[in-house]
Amino acid sequence: MKEYLPSDFLPILVQLIAAIGFIVFTMIVTHSIGPKRHSAKKDDPFECGIEAQGDARTPISIKYFLIAILFVLFDVEIIFMYPWAVNFMKLGWFGFVEMILFVALLMAGFYYIIKKGVLTWDKE
Amino acid sequence: MYPILVLSITGIITLFLGFLKSKKVLLPATLFFVTLAFFANLYDWNKPGLYFNNMLQVNNFTILLSAVILLSAFLIIALTKGFIDDEHAQPAEYFAILQFSLVGAIMMTGFQNLIMLFIGVEILSVSMYVLTGSDKRNLRGNEAALKYFLMGSFATGIMLFGIAMLYGANYSFNIDAARTVVTQMVSTQHSSVYLYVGVTFLLIGLLFKVSAAPFHFWTPDVYEGAPTIFTTFMSTIVKTAGFAAIYRILEVSFSPIYSFWWVMVIIMTVLSLIISNVTAVSQGSFKRMLAFSSVSHAGYMLMAVVGLSNKSDDSIVFYSLAYSLATISAFGVLMAVSKEKLVDGRPDESIAVLNGLSKRNPFLAFILAISMLSLAGIPLTAGFWGKFYVFSDAAFRGHIWLLVVAILMSAVGIYYYFKPIIAAYMRESEGEAISLTPFYKIILGITTFGSILLGLFPDLLRSLM
Repeated sequence: MKEYLPSDFLPILVQLIAAIGFIVFTMIVTHSIGPKRHSAKKDDPFECGIEAQGDARTPISIKYFLIAILFVLFDVEIIFMYPWAVNFMKLGWFGFVEMILFVALLMAGFYYIIKKGVLTWDKE
Repeated sequence: MYPILVLSITGIITLFLGFLKSKKVLLPATLFFVTLAFFANLYDWNKPGLYFNNMLQVNNFTILLSAVILLSAFLIIALTKGFIDDEHAQPAEYFAILQFSLVGAIMMTGFQNLIMLFIGVEILSVSMYVLTGSDKRNLRGNEAALKYFLMGSFATGIMLFGIAMLYGANYSFNIDAARTVVTQMVSTQHSSVYLYVGVTFLLIGLLFKVSAAPFHFWTPDVYEGAPTIFTTFMSTIVKTAGFAAIYRILEVSFSPIYSFWWVMVIIMTVLSLIISNVTAVSQGSFKRMLAFSSVSHAGYMLMAVVGLSNKSDDSIVFYSLAYSLATISAFGVLMAVSKEKLVDGRPDESIAVLNGLSKRNPFLAFILAISMLSLAGIPLTAGFWGKFYVFSDAAFRGHIWLLVVAILMSAVGIYYYFKPIIAAYMRESEGEAISLTPFYKIILGITTFGSILLGLFPDLLRSLM
């Protein structure tokens, strides 16, 4: 195994200085060469043509979020299945029963959320 | 081991019971499930062993701690009244999450492998984050849940980092294997920096969960914002499980390097005792006062960890039980009284709401008095013996100045624990008489009776070990 000395990490330091230097340089240059115009509308925090209305505490539909969570759930299930499938012969019946148990628990949860109505979107 | 299996299955059953038309069946069913888990837990008594590929350990110490956890859980769940009054509540989900969180708590008492410790901490914490924010229309509750979640996940991250470092030092997640490596390191004078970083970070993560100073800043806000019933759960069960984990990891794996961590732990103990007791004095809200009191009790329980005598495990079990019983009665009284008077649509939880309680309901005033006396550590209550045992543990290692601080802070504690008693007995009442359901009375009676019984005969529990 090769031993690393602190001096071997010099390129990383140079890279870091170059990156920070670029940011500082661009910030200074854009501030100094750009034109400056101030007006009531311009200095508004949400200056994008539409005036801000109401506050941020409005209810947002979380249906898509639920679908995303469900996707992650089954995604992770598949991740567990790959190593199991590779070692299927070695694990034998014990591994099979364990996997059945895992999937059964997952399906119980899935059945529960279906009953709770995650997929009925147009329910009022 | 059995309660983990039982509660995992009954938790799922509880979820499906939620589809029934009647919500009334949920509370008795959950109480039955927790009772079942309690007896399943006792089934392993005097049959120590390792389970699930050396992942979990069962011995009499872990069984007693699990018993304390399950008993507290039973009493707390009995105080919920099934959430029937609240139309926005989701009783089935709450009860299921409570049962799942108990699984995490029991894993934290019986882990043999650091991975199991991490999973236990996570199951318990994530359940608590959800339950803290369960009152969706309460802005304070939402704030508390978010604060708890953000800070808690940081603490978990730090803890996980510590576990990774320990793996680097010990080449194993097993806590017995860790002890072998640590002992070798001590005998060969060859120390690994990963080990010290790992122990420190692991301790930080766990001490956050039990809200010991300087990691206590979330405690008052979260305890105040959460619905009172879940605050009770947090301040009893999370604390018991957390101390079980801290004690086991330090005792099993890291007692050979006691000289490394005792300074750290003793500083945290002193900080917890001083900060919490001094701050609690000026609290107007009863719930916030109890939050700071829970920080101070974390400090007292840390004294048993610092002591690390051969009686420390008994002290931790006894202290957890004494503290849980007293805290459940205190919060039980608060829940019964605070809902009588609303401030801005929320229950009034200031100490002033207890004014004249002795006239409005003498039974509740008596329960409150006993629980406050027990928390303050007045003789003839369980709290006194709890304090006595942890003080003797600290004396075992000769930390005399720690004892001096602790005794001074107990004296400060007596001052603020007497404020609710004075409010209940000396102040004039404004409200009407408070009526209680018989079941509620029985549960509060049990907690108070337990406090007095353990205060008179502490050997009842000590003789078990």
